[in-house]
Amino acid sequence: MDLVQTEIPEGFTRSAGGGHTEEYYLNMGPQHPSTHGVLRLMVRLDGETVKEIVPHIGYIHRSIEKMAESQSLIQNIHLTDRLDYLSCHMTNLGLCLAIEQGADVGVPERAEYIRIIVCELQRIQSHLLWWGCFAMDLGALTAFLYGFDEREKITDLFEELCGARLTMNYFRPGGCVSDLPNEFIPRILKICEHMKTTLDEYDNLVSKNMIIRERTQGVGILSKERALSHGCTGPVARASGINYDVRKDEPYGIYNRFDFDVPLGATGDCYDRYTVRIEEMRQSIRILEQACKDLPDGDFRSKEKPNYKIPKDEHSFSSVETARGNFSTYVVSDGGKTPYRIKYRSPNFSHIGAINDMASGYKLADLVTVLATLDPVIPDIDR
Amino acid sequence: MGIDLQLIPKVLDPLPGGKGLTNAVDYIVNWARSSSLWPLVYGTSCCAIEMMATGAARHDISRFGAEVFRASPRQADLIILAGTLTEKMSHHLKTLYEQMPEPKYVIAMGACTISGGPFYYDNYSVIKGADRIVPVDVFIPGCPPRPEALLHGILELQKLISGETIRQPRVPRPLNDDPMIDRHSADAAAWKEEDKKIQEELAGKREQWAAENPDFKAYKGERFKNVSGPKMGHTPVERSCTSVADICAAVHDKFPDIPLYNKAEITDEELAELSPQYIPDFVVGQEQYTAFISFLKNHADLNMDLLLQVTAVDWKDHFDVLVHLYSTTGKHKIFVRCSVDYSKENDTPEIDTISHLFSGANWHEREIFDLFGITFTNHPDMRRILLRDDFVGHPLRKDFEDSSRIVKRPY
Ligand code: SF4
Repeated sequence: MDLVQTEIPEGFTRSAGGGHTEEYYLNMGPQHPSTHGVLRLMVRLDGETVKEIVPHIGYIHRSIEKMAESQSLIQNIHLTDRLDYLSCHMTNLGLCLAIEQGADVGVPERAEYIRIIVCELQRIQSHLLWWGCFAMDLGALTAFLYGFDEREKITDLFEELCGARLTMNYFRPGGCVSDLPNEFIPRILKICEHMKTTLDEYDNLVSKNMIIRERTQGVGILSKERALSHGCTGPVARASGINYDVRKDEPYGIYNRFDFDVPLGATGDCYDRYTVRIEEMRQSIRILEQACKDLPDGDFRSKEKPNYKIPKDEHSFSSVETARGNFSTYVVSDGGKTPYRIKYRSPNFSHIGAINDMASGYKLADLVTVLATLDPVIPDIDR
Repeated sequence: MGIDLQLIPKVLDPLPGGKGLTNAVDYIVNWARSSSLWPLVYGTSCCAIEMMATGAARHDISRFGAEVFRASPRQADLIILAGTLTEKMSHHLKTLYEQMPEPKYVIAMGACTISGGPFYYDNYSVIKGADRIVPVDVFIPGCPPRPEALLHGILELQKLISGETIRQPRVPRPLNDDPMIDRHSADAAAWKEEDKKIQEELAGKREQWAAENPDFKAYKGERFKNVSGPKMGHTPVERSCTSVADICAAVHDKFPDIPLYNKAEITDEELAELSPQYIPDFVVGQEQYTAFISFLKNHADLNMDLLLQVTAVDWKDHFDVLVHLYSTTGKHKIFVRCSVDYSKENDTPEIDTISHLFSGANWHEREIFDLFGITFTNHPDMRRILLRDDFVGHPLRKDFEDSSRIVKRPY
């Protein structure tokens, strides 16, 4: 059998072979435990060194943008849950902000605070899941159990808030569906207090672990220029030293009232991406404490409209910072009940596009580390 | 094991008391099988998170012997279909299923794998029910089902397994190979017929009842009242960034004849009054498109260094290709819009690529090519990105129709 492949697979810049050793192609996915879903990576390898990576996406393309065109704006909120399901409060908020902007709807003070509290809580929740999976991808199962244990506590809170554990569908244009349940704030404060000690525990368990450090430090470096060129945002961009956080730079809601820092990395390697996320959890706790302290009484939603319409030929654009980066919603209207077109900008889409820059030149096992620190949510990429 | 299990009933059953022995063998085999199910690590979307939660500390799937999640289908005997199944993935699912050794079981988790769930209507890519591809043993409803529901599903499967006997060994079940047939219409028509018959039968009884109880008033449900707050208008958040007037001045310095979208006649005073929330949206012609984007990127003050997205809108007679840019130094956004002609006769709209300016544009442009059918000239790798290569048509075009895939929303 002729083992040497002469044809270049789709997307590669040159064929394997030539040089001193024989290069070959390896397929990873779409069914692979470390691709976090159904991502497929084709890798050109020289021995164990990754030479080039070509990602294939679309295995969970659910045509959400097409469906959006035949549903009213409000009916679309539950579909945004299914984009980035680990930060679905934030994606809900993205669409709600776009509707509020286009249909001129205001938000009462209390609702603004509720939004911040819920979003930051979810950021912690999402990062906890990432932390568990990151350690598991590197071979440490204990961390997975720890991470999920903490996550369940926050999931309980969300369940009390809106009845769902994962697909929340809680925000509406002009506020939220319902008020906070009783005893919600003290419980959040308790979780915050608890999380502080837990994060120190996590540092001892994983961050200071020699093996984890060896496997992440100096691995998967993404330079600032390449990150910008690929359109990376969120923790990935911040680890590469790009000071861009939507919450700080284009504040939405009332984020401009809170005092928090944006952690930045220096080198853009896997360890930086790791520490940036851990630090983000600490900052989220800070925001939570401030917001819980100041939470005013009042309405949780402004007056409802039976129909939220954006005027003809107008468009509205909103950006929010999800746990993964800049999530933008672009709504084009033709004056009808349903949007003419909705486009969601997914942060993961750009990150996976940059994976060739990050992981080529390293070993195949490092590719798994890089993927784990990107924290991709595949349905968000494919939409 | 070395023993052919099927021989056991043949040898034992004719012996006196042998039936009991066969039953005992059945019992042991089924007990072993059902309490050590090895699921495959397979999860496509949201439901997979609940599957992970089931495996984690609180819900602890290992209480039921199913904690050994295997990464290879060759070592697994259970596949939990956690998440939506799309057409592109369905071929891989088939391969996975075929690679699993017998006996193998399938649990369909979530509304998506039962019927397509939230993605049933107006959807061109989701398979409307996983049992159109592989045979399913247990369906778990929910979106997503709670971990307890998944555990319940596993218990149900265990019950199913404990009913098996080696007297009638399992035959491999055939794969289903018509994922896109329209089962709904025929069923709906049948239901309608059935309903009509029932109504006819009941009509007489209803009249009789109404005559016997003339004073009866049916309970009319009350509408759930929403607690609604004050009416208020949108107040944008204050933010500091380069003002719209400055951006326009910088742009019109080099490109004087580029208007703002919907604001072509705007005066300088009106420009100065625009809030920072307004994002300038420039309309450029195709000749100037790449030159303009490259100007925005390299301009010292504007410095549009981050490409948010490239996308398109189908206006039926032409497409608008939209480029959304952000500057990490000036904190402002600029939109660029370029119209691409399109008509039924000229079905191959074309525009220049900007992927040499922003690497990120590469994938965005491929997505537009895939969903709108706009070709980007000089693009290094113009292929479909989200859909399969053999997909016919470009689904985000307004005139896209595919009755084999899409079920239209009836309301
Ligand atoms: S059933 Fe619901 S939660 Fe599960 S994959 Fe489908 S949309 Fe996601």
